[in-house]
Amino acid sequence: MTAKSHNKPIAITTNRFLRYLVAYGSLILFGALVAIPLLYFLITSFKPMEEYLTYPPRFFPTRWQPENYKAAVTMFPYFRYAGHSLFLGLSHTILTVVTSAMAGFAFARINASARDKLFTIIIAMLIVPGIVVQIPQFIIFARLKLTGTWWPWILWGLGGSPFYIFMFRQFFSGFPRELEDAAEIDGCGPFRTFWAVFVPNAKPVIATASILNFAGVWGDYVNPFLFLKDANTTLAVKLQTGYLSPHGELLTTTVLAGALLYVLPLVIAFFLGQRHILEGVVTSGLKG
Amino acid sequence: MANTQQPGRKPASRRKKSTRARRRTISFYLFVAPWLLGFVLLSVAPLCIGFFTSLTNYDGFDPADSKFIGVDNYARAFSDDRMFFSLGRTLLWAAINTPLWLVVTFCMALILNQKGIKGRGFLRTLYYVPSIVPVVGVVWIWKIILDNNFGLLNAAISLFRPGTALPFLSQYALQSLSVIALWTGLGSGMVIFLAGLQNIPEELKEAAQIDGANALQLFRHVILPIMTPVIFFQLVLGLISAFQQLVLPMLLAPAQEVSGWNPPRSSYLYMIHAYRQLFVYQRYGYSTALLWLLFVVILALTLLVFRTARYWVFYEVEVEGGRQP
Repeated sequence: MTAKSHNKPIAITTNRFLRYLVAYGSLILFGALVAIPLLYFLITSFKPMEEYLTYPPRFFPTRWQPENYKAAVTMFPYFRYAGHSLFLGLSHTILTVVTSAMAGFAFARINASARDKLFTIIIAMLIVPGIVVQIPQFIIFARLKLTGTWWPWILWGLGGSPFYIFMFRQFFSGFPRELEDAAEIDGCGPFRTFWAVFVPNAKPVIATASILNFAGVWGDYVNPFLFLKDANTTLAVKLQTGYLSPHGELLTTTVLAGALLYVLPLVIAFFLGQRHILEGVVTSGLKG
Repeated sequence: MANTQQPGRKPASRRKKSTRARRRTISFYLFVAPWLLGFVLLSVAPLCIGFFTSLTNYDGFDPADSKFIGVDNYARAFSDDRMFFSLGRTLLWAAINTPLWLVVTFCMALILNQKGIKGRGFLRTLYYVPSIVPVVGVVWIWKIILDNNFGLLNAAISLFRPGTALPFLSQYALQSLSVIALWTGLGSGMVIFLAGLQNIPEELKEAAQIDGANALQLFRHVILPIMTPVIFFQLVLGLISAFQQLVLPMLLAPAQEVSGWNPPRSSYLYMIHAYRQLFVYQRYGYSTALLWLLFVVILALTLLVFRTARYWVFYEVEVEGGRQP
């Protein structure tokens, strides 16, 4: 650009101006497309139901009704169902992160003959569609009478996840060799090395994997819908069925209030850890 | 380091080495054991059982009552009109959705990556927010906008053409789902492209500019080739997940209805058809057969995309090692 600027300085500046106009224009347009639905969601959760059902709808309510939020947490035992989601999310996350970190460490740091072959499986599992196993798992768990219980989440958690194994492997591969040697000289076996040297230095990846995985379980709809029953299901499923008026009508604005409270913890967690999370998403190539 | 291996002690050290190698192998397996066990019990076993079930008429009650019926379930799929209809919808869905997502997220990453853009960090975070909203939240956010009668979009349209109420959630459900999927996938796609763009060495761009390349040429001959591996990766992931779409059509229905296994015709995707067979009709065998067929379709398509890779995906190694004769 500088090489050419002696030719037509005016054309360049208008050019640059146009470029910024187009750039900022589209960025703002997309920003609005992202933000308006979120904003309307927030606003509508304060609308009285009658106002939601008037035609034509208005963006802002004429009367704000924060009572929607009270109804949202009292129409069914909201916090108990949130507790189910929390329990499944936490237990699945702890197990998955431990299992995946261990496997990731082994793939990065322990030189065994079968390592590369097994790692090919991990890569394949990243691509193999998960749908082929969901229904067979349902069949197996149903035969073992584990549907309607939380056991599937524990078992899935114990099995780890190829995504996080990959992520941990990438991260642990970058550790300097001397770290391991020093630990070995100090008499550490591989477990001590993993636990006392690698894990304390992997906090960012652990945090990323934990938040992403927790968000995955908390946000999951299909698995609790298929595998659990109404009494012990998660908030995601209960939100869909829990807000009926005595006449059996769906109270949309109350659902919105409930859904907003359900979404909020993840948004907050994201803002707190966004730098790590976005980096984690990039390194693992995860699609959200 | 100093040479610690004296010639005379070679056999001992070799023996020591082999026990160390064995110990290493043992600890390797101990570390991967939970995953390996999970892989066998939760992936391999279900795959086999699923395939076996697809050869029977199992109905979910007593396996002893079910009969081995060979490939009947697979044959049945080929005379199932609804299967073909749902497959067609799914192909359309993948054909609209994947390119749309790739193009939009790539363009946004390009714009955001330009020099001198202010507020890049803030915008990146803003665009990413929809990606972290759980699907139940996403669908409610869009239901109140797209609802046929009470939605914001129809209200906006009726400002220009009073009285219009377009059936976004029924007749145009597939198109609506595409917008929703784009909205949720915007941030995650863009973040990955942005990271790819930021990895392009600055010298490369400068060299091209010194050679007199304009912005378009720079994009066409430098940026785009370097980005093809990332585009390829995103294309494969996008296609695979498009074919497996289940939850969005399950949840999206006019606000007063529950959708579940009965979405409008427009968004009657293949996965819905396959899951319906089991959860509505208890046809376990047929359902698993349908899933295996989809698996084959996805696998074939993925391999096809991989085959095309060498014509358009640029890998540095190829250039440095010279082209094949």
